[in-house]
Amino acid sequence: MERPPGYLVVGIESNPLQIDPRYSTDANSVRIGNLIYNSLLRADERSQLQPELAEQWRMIDDRTYVFDLRRGVSFHDGRPLTAADVKYTYESILDANSLSPKRSLLHPLQSIEQTGSHQLLFHLRAAHAPFVDQFTLGIVPARSPAFGNSNHEPPPGSGPFRLQALESGEKVTLAANPDYWEGRPQLAGVTFKVVPDALVRVLEFKHGAIDFMQNDLEPDMLPWLKENTAADVEMNQGTTFQYIGINMTHPILRHQKVRQAIACAIDRDSIIRHLLKNTVSDAGGLLSPLNWAYDPGAPRWPYDPERAKRLLDQAGFVDPDGDGPRPRFRLSFKTTNIDLRRRIAEALKEQLLRVGVELDLRSYEWGTFFADVKNGNFHLYSLAWVGIEDPDIYYQILHSTSVPPNGDNRGRYSDPEVDRLLARGRTTLDRTERKTIYRDIQRYLAEDLPNIPLWWWKNVVVKKPGLRGFVAYPDGELISLKRATLD
Amino acid sequence: MKPFLLRRCLLLLPTFLGALSLVFALIHLIPGDPVEAMLGETATAADKEAMRQSLGFDRPLLVQYRSFLVNLAAGDLGRSLYEPASVAHIIGARLPATLQLALCAMIAAVFIAFPLGTLAAIRRGGWLDRSALTFSLLGLSLPNFWLGPLLMIVFSIQLGWTPVSGRGGLSHLFLPALTLGLGMAAILVRIVRASLLQVMHQDYVQTARAKGLKESRVLLKHVSRNALLSVITIMSLQFGGLLAGSLITETIFSWPGIGRLTVQAIQTRDYPLVQGCVLVIATSYILINFVTDLLYKWVDPRVNYGS
Repeated sequence: MERPPGYLVVGIESNPLQIDPRYSTDANSVRIGNLIYNSLLRADERSQLQPELAEQWRMIDDRTYVFDLRRGVSFHDGRPLTAADVKYTYESILDANSLSPKRSLLHPLQSIEQTGSHQLLFHLRAAHAPFVDQFTLGIVPARSPAFGNSNHEPPPGSGPFRLQALESGEKVTLAANPDYWEGRPQLAGVTFKVVPDALVRVLEFKHGAIDFMQNDLEPDMLPWLKENTAADVEMNQGTTFQYIGINMTHPILRHQKVRQAIACAIDRDSIIRHLLKNTVSDAGGLLSPLNWAYDPGAPRWPYDPERAKRLLDQAGFVDPDGDGPRPRFRLSFKTTNIDLRRRIAEALKEQLLRVGVELDLRSYEWGTFFADVKNGNFHLYSLAWVGIEDPDIYYQILHSTSVPPNGDNRGRYSDPEVDRLLARGRTTLDRTERKTIYRDIQRYLAEDLPNIPLWWWKNVVVKKPGLRGFVAYPDGELISLKRATLD
Repeated sequence: MKPFLLRRCLLLLPTFLGALSLVFALIHLIPGDPVEAMLGETATAADKEAMRQSLGFDRPLLVQYRSFLVNLAAGDLGRSLYEPASVAHIIGARLPATLQLALCAMIAAVFIAFPLGTLAAIRRGGWLDRSALTFSLLGLSLPNFWLGPLLMIVFSIQLGWTPVSGRGGLSHLFLPALTLGLGMAAILVRIVRASLLQVMHQDYVQTARAKGLKESRVLLKHVSRNALLSVITIMSLQFGGLLAGSLITETIFSWPGIGRLTVQAIQTRDYPLVQGCVLVIATSYILINFVTDLLYKWVDPRVNYGS
């Protein structure tokens, strides 16, 4: 691959499927899209929403937001960006014929009213605190075609980089937008090179064909990279939460003490040290310390196999033969067929066997595994929640009305107290009050354990030393490349 | 010959239909829902149902199958559920990469296997023969996911002669073609050697030698051509496999070919794209088999296809 001068080459694992922000759902498409498209608001490196296309914004009542747009912003094709473009973007997502996967995220939105060339009102059906996250949708020009019948290129954006070339399965090239309203980026461009194999990405970095990688690296490769290349390796707290999902309708797992015993039987530290090479940090719950609603006071379940045995005895599952080979009970544990996931599952199996719980490991191809998880066809499984921002995510994954297909309560958890708190959390607009509600939820769930927290994945950034000004974001965003320089 | 050609052409249709029906049934039978995969975590049941209706996935399977065949007859393979492009466009963009790699790997295999297999047959039992058989054993034993990175470390990292991965000029082709070619050559060496040995002891070869012909002429004119039949059979199977895309080699070398595309389509349950890829793969196999049958006749005029 020829490298144009001044371009940064970023190695990515998979082909971005849809750059158009109305349709993008895979991580690479979203991250690349955020360099091409501006949004009304944008999360900063501390996950706080800051105005981007919005010059100012406020709520005029508990269901109406007013936005005044920045003037002098143009799309990459020269057209000025106005309130009509913002209105069109949101309305095209809401249009059922557009087949946008983001349509349901906008359900709380009743209408958008354009009150001036650069002013808009967003009317919600009811107060809905987490809706502010939807103001981070990328804005496209009015009349941009939907996912229709033509082989259309993604529409132009107004962001710091414009799409230069899109070669499916190979690379995506962005060029600096010389007229960007925040000033022209220092980088001449960014090339996202698709290199599916993690080992090959590392070799490409060593060879000098890749300048930057973020996550998707085998933990074993980091020591090699540090010893054999001049790479700057940074590890920062991330928000991706790995957990063990539990089928709450299972006659054994229904017992709270059994779930607590499983949590106590897991030696996270040894897995983190030996298998994951400290690329994760021990998690107490879904929300990481970077989240504004994180509660450091929620109880945790440190490794304590003796306590685990006592809890199992108390739950009525006495070991039939003491330290003998017969387990107290058997459960299946489902995971994907990714090698690292399988090795982690093996370690968990050994650890649980020490307290008398036998796991039958089953690894599947992703589609099959995920279908089983959605259908509740599991005892235990392990997965991760990615991109956690507003704590309202608890509603989606634990409210009793969120059982698939209406949400992601895959474990079929149902608790009236949690339901009540979650409903209050999404309709309360005052952040201090919300923080108290989510503190109570976190403490309640830490005792009840509808899922067992394992760890938060760190953001691992590997970059060549000449790259300056890059700031890692908790969710892996690359937006700080607009200010980065390359020696 | 003409009746044979006609018969083979007529057989193409049921073969295509069989392959397509099988894939259509399998992709719909395996667990996993494309709408779930497309809409992700947040969509409501009503949205999913609406999407299912828009895409026609709510209709009975037989109706979907019939509509797929009708569209196919009109040359329309449908649209990808993810990429904003038609299936034909996506496959068309990837097919040249697969063809390029397949041809170069085949050429590499032929250039390695024919001389080595021939020398091994001529010097049967000697060190050349033993070396060729050792090469063959190694080539068969070393998996591509190991051989590929090994070649990268040697040629790209240590020597700096080639790029590590990706598609570009000829230098990009060298390592993936060599990786695939070595594996194929390992089999071909044995086939070439065995076929030559078998023919070399035939009476008519002894007669040719007795007539005073040079050994090189005996080999080229009397032995090679008659030994080619089984070699062609194996080569055509190997080439068909290459056109289906080599997932492991394409993944390791970041080669944007059909193999990677097919697996990605299966993982995301992109039904139209899976069907399109399988159609291309099935077509490749069928055409190669067809060409192979024609080659038999050219190599050995005694081959009789019946009336």
